[in-house]
Amino acid sequence: MQKISFHDQIQKNKLKSFFLIILIFIFFLVLGYLISLILDPSYFFIIMIFSIIFSMSYVLISYYNSDKIALASVRARPASRSGHPNFYQAAENMALASGLPMPRLFVMESEEINAFASGRNPEKAVICMTSGALKKLNKQELEGVIAHEMSHIANYDIRFMTLTAVMIGMISIIAQIFIRSLWFSGMSDRDNKAGAILILVGIIFAILAPIAAQLVSLAISRKREFLADSTAVKFTRYPPGLINALTKIKNEHVSEKEKHRVAKGLAPLFISDPFKRKISGLFATHPDVEERIKRLKSM
Amino acid sequence: MEAIFWIIIALVVLVAIVFVYYYNRFVVLGNRIDNSLSQIDVQLRKRADLVPNLINSVKGYAKHEKGIMTEVTKARNLLMNAKGFEKRVKAGAELERSLGKLFAIAENYPQLRANENFLQLQNELSAIEDRIAYSRQFYNDSILTYNNACQSFPGNMFANLYGKKAKQFLQIPQESRAVPKVSF
Repeated sequence: MQKISFHDQIQKNKLKSFFLIILIFIFFLVLGYLISLILDPSYFFIIMIFSIIFSMSYVLISYYNSDKIALASVRARPASRSGHPNFYQAAENMALASGLPMPRLFVMESEEINAFASGRNPEKAVICMTSGALKKLNKQELEGVIAHEMSHIANYDIRFMTLTAVMIGMISIIAQIFIRSLWFSGMSDRDNKAGAILILVGIIFAILAPIAAQLVSLAISRKREFLADSTAVKFTRYPPGLINALTKIKNEHVSEKEKHRVAKGLAPLFISDPFKRKISGLFATHPDVEERIKRLKSM
Repeated sequence: MEAIFWIIIALVVLVAIVFVYYYNRFVVLGNRIDNSLSQIDVQLRKRADLVPNLINSVKGYAKHEKGIMTEVTKARNLLMNAKGFEKRVKAGAELERSLGKLFAIAENYPQLRANENFLQLQNELSAIEDRIAYSRQFYNDSILTYNNACQSFPGNMFANLYGKKAKQFLQIPQESRAVPKVSF
């Protein structure tokens, strides 16, 4: 049963990633079209060619570099075998247990216990841990957390999750810039038609930006976390490892300063919500830690 | 008439695809088993390679423990000369047990325990022990997947056709799971 759902998960993730890329591609084409309408219809072809080139490169760059972008945005550094022997040992063990290639390992500075995996396929996977996690977790807990990340790697969650976070995250940044510039350009004189379209695009963006952000959390459904938890246990054969790690995450106190190190769009990638938001239910990026522990205990 | 012709063509292609799919599936799953098997072998060899160093560093502090040292050396030789995977794994388990005993005895020699070289070897050996356990687990997982593919319908028909048989799980000798007991 596990096997079948795993296979399905991989197919689903690949398909979703593909559609996401297509969607983003079309989005930029439409954007180019709107811009050409605003400026001057006679520039239509030049602008369309430009926007095709732009969206092609946007899609390709984010596909091949999404893991690097994610790592750079949290200022992660590569972990060394001598500097983090426990991290390496636990990751090697989990690579053997899961039969996956050894991922590249990174560390990000944060006191909070957290971790995420990224990359476009298992061969190019990375696992990033906070320095706090490496300090506070013992061997079994570390293996549990790494096994959780390994299962995200195995079923291609990492491809879809990172692509979503990076692509949509960047769109919402672009949207914000666009809206801001709109406020200024709105002051100058324009003919009525262009002004109306500009305002229309502005409104579309204003609606789009928060929706895009929400899409990230919805697309990355919380079911993935439960699935990754149960697969992690299959790798370690030791549920208390992950249970204890989650308990430590639940009980730790994180200062406000620590919380803001992570970009909001990246939050769904982590094993637990870096913002420790209290919302649960439809709009939460992560299932309740309590619920996850309960399910693990019943296994 | 033409429609029937095309339907037959489509059916033939479909059947061919199914045959190829199952053939490749068995190849992939079989390779996975071979690969995990060689992983275990690599770890077993690494462990055997560390043993002479370990014996040397123990010798310096615990000369009188000849019994255990010959036992470890013997187990290592057995592993080095073992032919066939089954036997190697068994010899590996034997070596693991005697090493466990050795480390338990080492507890009585504070100077040895403080020796940096010894500590490093101990850490390495316990890391290897972990890796062997996890590789063995993955080996058995791979066999389970393979056997499921061989025995469930319709895979069993193709397994018969391609001469693929269900494989044996790797049995870990019962004793090697227990913590070694040392009497003084």
